[in-house]
Amino acid sequence: MTTMTTVAPKPQTAGSPPNRRKAPLSVRVPMHVSRLAWYLLCAVLAVSMIFPLLWMLSIALKSDTDINQLPPDLLPKEFIWSNFIDGPKQINFLGLLGNTVTITVLVTVGAVLSSMLVGYGLARVEFTGRKVWFYVFTCSIFLPGIVGMIPLVRLYIAVHLYDSWWPLILPAFLGNPIFTFLARQYFMTIPMSIDEAATIDGAGHWRIFTRIMFPLTKPLWITMAVMSFQGAWNDYLSPLIYLTTDSKYPLSLGMAQFSGSFAGVSVTPYNYYMATNFWYMLPPLVLFFLAQRYFMTGLGSLGGGTK
Amino acid sequence: MSNSALTREVRLGTVPADSSSGPPARKRRSLRRNNRVGYLFIAPSIVGFGLFVAYPLVMSIYYSLTRWNGVTKPQFIGLDNYVYMLTKDPVFWIAVRNTLVFAVISVPVSLIAGLALAVLLNRKLKGVKIFRTIFFLPVVLPSIAVLTMWKYLFDPQFGLANQILSWLHLPTSQWLSSADTAMPTVILIGVWGVGGTMIIFLAGLQNVPDELYEAAKLDGAGAIRTFFSVTLPMITPILLLQLILQINGAFQTFNQIAILTQGGPDNSTDLLMYKIYTDGFTSVNNPLMGYATAEVWFLFILVMIVTAFTFRTSSMWVYNANETRN
Repeated sequence: MTTMTTVAPKPQTAGSPPNRRKAPLSVRVPMHVSRLAWYLLCAVLAVSMIFPLLWMLSIALKSDTDINQLPPDLLPKEFIWSNFIDGPKQINFLGLLGNTVTITVLVTVGAVLSSMLVGYGLARVEFTGRKVWFYVFTCSIFLPGIVGMIPLVRLYIAVHLYDSWWPLILPAFLGNPIFTFLARQYFMTIPMSIDEAATIDGAGHWRIFTRIMFPLTKPLWITMAVMSFQGAWNDYLSPLIYLTTDSKYPLSLGMAQFSGSFAGVSVTPYNYYMATNFWYMLPPLVLFFLAQRYFMTGLGSLGGGTK
Repeated sequence: MSNSALTREVRLGTVPADSSSGPPARKRRSLRRNNRVGYLFIAPSIVGFGLFVAYPLVMSIYYSLTRWNGVTKPQFIGLDNYVYMLTKDPVFWIAVRNTLVFAVISVPVSLIAGLALAVLLNRKLKGVKIFRTIFFLPVVLPSIAVLTMWKYLFDPQFGLANQILSWLHLPTSQWLSSADTAMPTVILIGVWGVGGTMIIFLAGLQNVPDELYEAAKLDGAGAIRTFFSVTLPMITPILLLQLILQINGAFQTFNQIAILTQGGPDNSTDLLMYKIYTDGFTSVNNPLMGYATAEVWFLFILVMIVTAFTFRTSSMWVYNANETRN
């Protein structure tokens, strides 16, 4: 979980000295073999994981004639780097990118802020009915999103927000149930004595939340930010349902159209598509690498089960 | 006066709340303040619950009883949608069957593969972090981008999959283009994203106290015995969480179908979620939103039954160290 370094001195177990010396000796020789096998296995798996991506890059670099070659070559005959510029020109890439960035940033800010607030409230303020609300919110995780979509379409039409970004952004500001659960679990692991000390110093809940909890839960909200960024960047079904105007589309719809409009046609510019795909993949990838070291700790609170 | 009696008196106004001094009054005041603060903190989720859960739930019951194309006024038709769905729709039961098959195969495969990878990578060896990153990579990439890539990779003509098979002198396949192989291919592609499952299992494995492993070692347990007697029981809470989330995800699979197969060929990959979308939103001139809502309710109840069943049986196999807490 968090760095709970209150490691008690390890109890002296029944392992008597001769026993201890013996055990490593008997496994020493196979240890090297097993380590080598481990590296080999991991390497094979890693290559098979990465291979599709490498092939995607290879297609992105191929010429128009190359991609229609039968049987397909593993590597391009000549490397057409300009595909990475010409590909995005096939769709209104910059416009779509702008839409996606706007939506994603708003969704991320909203999801993190609202879920942190709710998680804090559920975990650290003792109020009547907090357990009931916790179960209510947690249960709503299991409600299929599609249940809401059809009535909400009508609601958004009624309030003239259909075909706008509001249906995509608004829910994020009203507490993402999974993040709320994650935040609540994480907040539960922080010792209550911190709040008590702060309260004695005269700090209220709001002050504790903004000044103490935010710095203390950095892995948590970074994890939530990365996850919600990816979720919004990725989201395909909601924009598909709520948006009808091309100029408001996010990249996910643009990319799907890109491939869709060429599917079945004999001349498929897959080289352009894959080059554009590369740009589409890049931002979440970069973000993940930047945030990576916080990820495990952040998800660790899921590992705590239902505490 | 007992505490609850006092509260009642205060509510009735017989005892002035603020004038009475002493610990109970202060406690009560702070409790009331806590209630205000607490509800302020959770207000976003309460509004969200009302707007995105309670309201749609209630309304969708009504819509499921109407004929409604999403534009004109819904027209009340009683249970007709449900009757048509259960008895006449030629594709409905195919979609239900496909959804169940998809869930029953893909969830265990992804859980087992994810756990195996997590155990493999739960080591303190040089380079383990690089491997973790590589295995997690597919999860980070946008699914629309990834799925189109796979679709091309499994293209019977231009795809690399068949190319590799022919190099190895193995029979090639139609993959997504044949009713026999489409569903297995869709499931196979899903396995690539197993890194998400892996990373959560890994987080769980790292919370297993080292003392337990030491004790198992002293007792002379081998690797396999240790896994089944120590590791597995200790991570059952996560296993349950993952199981529930994955079942949910499997029943709501949409992107994979929309990009890879669009339900075809011959409805062999038509999952309920995708059918709901096509019925409700795309049926060319006549979107059947009312009918789609009825299907949503079927899906919802199906998910609830499976989830409840999983929870009910979980007490038999989930280890809970904190049983007495709270």
